[in-house]
Amino acid sequence: MTHDQIREMVRRVNPIPDPSTLEIVDVPVLTTPLERRTEMQIDDRPGTEVPVDRNRRRGPLVGITAAAMILIAGLVFFLTRDNTPVAEPAPDATNLLGMDFHSIEPGAYFVDTDGDESTTTGGTFVIESEWSGFQAGALKETSEDGPYVSLLIFEVDEVWSPACGSGINPQPAGTTAQDLADQFAAAGFTIQEAVSPVNAFGQSGYHLVVEVPAGCTGESHSVWEGPTWGRFYQAEGQVVEYWFLDVEGTPVMVETTRFAESSDDDVAGLRAVLDTLVITP
Amino acid sequence: MTLQTDNRSRFEAIWSDHRHQVLAYCLRRSSSTDAEDACAETFLVVWRRIDEIPPAPKTLPCLYGIARKSLSNQTRAFYRRGRLQAKLTNVGMAPAADPMLVVVQGADDKVVTDAVRRLKPVDREIVMLDVWEGLSRAEIADVMGMTRAAVDQRVHRAYQKLSRALQPVLEISSLNSPPIAEEGGT
Repeated sequence: MTHDQIREMVRRVNPIPDPSTLEIVDVPVLTTPLERRTEMQIDDRPGTEVPVDRNRRRGPLVGITAAAMILIAGLVFFLTRDNTPVAEPAPDATNLLGMDFHSIEPGAYFVDTDGDESTTTGGTFVIESEWSGFQAGALKETSEDGPYVSLLIFEVDEVWSPACGSGINPQPAGTTAQDLADQFAAAGFTIQEAVSPVNAFGQSGYHLVVEVPAGCTGESHSVWEGPTWGRFYQAEGQVVEYWFLDVEGTPVMVETTRFAESSDDDVAGLRAVLDTLVITP
Repeated sequence: MTLQTDNRSRFEAIWSDHRHQVLAYCLRRSSSTDAEDACAETFLVVWRRIDEIPPAPKTLPCLYGIARKSLSNQTRAFYRRGRLQAKLTNVGMAPAADPMLVVVQGADDKVVTDAVRRLKPVDREIVMLDVWEGLSRAEIADVMGMTRAAVDQRVHRAYQKLSRALQPVLEISSLNSPPIAEEGGT
């Protein structure tokens, strides 16, 4: 099924295919916008702004309060950052759930690999500045279209094989770390480093490095899907490094991506994050 | 005075050019009452921040972004009032869903609507912006506050999921549709 076919099907269920046919009876703001803006008290709603006049009245107090809070937050962050143990799970890590593609502050973050809030299964790591939430992990990009580096931590439900091919061919994911590693090694990537045993991030498992081959772009390249997120797109030339870890019998996958064009700083930043990563059962 | 006049003229131009699209955007995602509120709120923000509204062709994506936040505020209000569950039960879709979405023509359309409904919220919004609002990927990135690469990935993921869900519909449609040559015969 092509994207065009899907788009056509979705287009067909558009409840308002032609907006120009809508009758707009009354939009109060248009009649007397200056008056309405105070009457509606829009500032009482979360996420909206305070009207200008009240804003002015509260200005100095709000400013002082904000400055004090920033100072306290900065002090707390400074102290906690310096005390954050490397390669030990940070107890105050922020869950990355819902922070997808949003800038995140430096600090400790937790990725819930099984999507079950009642368990602690997942990965904790510390990031510095200029990172964003990225699916179940974090991403750093120097520009919108530039090469990025990323770290993702997942449990995997399905693996597409061949990964770089047309159509959708999900297969059940291997149930052990080794099975999963072998599955990814056979998925059609260019292997840079073959599957080998490894101890990493507090767990034992298998390590694999692959490169997305030329011609493997866009919708033709699907990889895998997990209970929390899926990975459906990789750009050709992207280097993907995997750790398939046995976490008390459950295979957990750590995936990092980078490009040949990635800057040394970005790659070093990624390594620095990996140095803090701890996978917990 | 001139500045005020200019602002009013610009506001009126934005209203005239885009009011239908903004209301349609809200109606596609919310009940008619909520949509009208969100539309009004959107243009209220436009009036108050007229200097920050970018010129065309970025005006409309900006308006969609404001409307999206207005609808999001309404959703949070539903949560607070404990009415969300009732709304979900009635509508059968995500928060701030549009009852019109369930008014579909046939079983196939319902399958399509259900498939869109089951997408993750952000993915669903991107698909709607893509297909229903007809925005480009770059414009969608503006509305969603994402990078273009992120939108590409989201779009692809959403279509993969839709493809899996809609494949049976396509197969049935193909079986039921007469060959084109016969259709154009006599």
